[in-house]
Amino acid sequence: MIQPELQPFAEISKDIREVLLTPEQIQARVIELGRQISSDYAERDLLIVGVLKGVLMFMADLLRQITIPVAVDFIAVSSYSAEARDRGFVRLVKDLDIPITGRNVIFIEDVIDTGLTLNYLLRNLRARSPASLEVCVMFDKPVRRLVDIPLRYKGFELPDQFVVGYGLDYREKYRNLPFVGLLKPEAF
Amino acid sequence: MSLPEKTPHQFSHPVEEEFARILDYYGIEWEYEPRTFPLQWDEQGNVTEAFTPDFYFPQQELYVELTTLRPSLATHKNRKLRRMQELYPDIHVKLFKRREMRNLMVKYGLQQAAARIQGTAAQENS
Repeated sequence: MIQPELQPFAEISKDIREVLLTPEQIQARVIELGRQISSDYAERDLLIVGVLKGVLMFMADLLRQITIPVAVDFIAVSSYSAEARDRGFVRLVKDLDIPITGRNVIFIEDVIDTGLTLNYLLRNLRARSPASLEVCVMFDKPVRRLVDIPLRYKGFELPDQFVVGYGLDYREKYRNLPFVGLLKPEAF
Repeated sequence: MSLPEKTPHQFSHPVEEEFARILDYYGIEWEYEPRTFPLQWDEQGNVTEAFTPDFYFPQQELYVELTTLRPSLATHKNRKLRRMQELYPDIHVKLFKRREMRNLMVKYGLQQAAARIQGTAAQENS
């Protein structure tokens, strides 16, 4: 049952079985994370790096809650798929524009589950010798974790089910939902 | 980035092979069934039951066991895992359950591999 305030999204919400996180819950947590980061990095140089595309919503909201000067950049990598596996290894689709050597970096990710992608990206970034490198993730699915990665900032834990919305997609759909919901089994 | 070419493995299930490809793709070092852990012995000291986790990640010091069995059929494997934890508490073994395997395959758009792990309703309700 979709809540009344979500009715404008009825067309894409029809595939949603249950709302797990409302826009209000999400925004409240984003505000807390923004305050924490602002406090931890006060009077320090800070570069925020987001991994496209799922981080878009979270990063836009988080940046507006960070009250200290920050620089912003994005990175993107290819995901594993039947087609990509023939190319062998993950590759950078979009590299950073800003050098990170000697800088304090917070890496922003929308969701972590196995940790495979994040592990690859952190290895890549560490090789560029930042002064510090921390991870901020909005959604954590720990059940499937294969690589243990310290998460300095974390929004919510999610179950190992198909959740979409607030940047999370299924086959590139549902990213624009303002809430996080469980996808109906018949939708995938 | 390139990793040394691996010796082809004889995987016991196609899902294991797909899992290995995913690991290779993301540059995770792995070994296939590198170690067998005795779980039970007879009076003469012969091993009567053992457990061989499917994968080992040396950098994470983590063993991973994949299962495509329905929850109702996984009792024997679960019992082995519990026994393993009792006898080898310092060895970390992660069980990837049937639903988790299927979800992983769907996440990467591998619908055929996901379909091989049959029984969607049972997974979602487990």
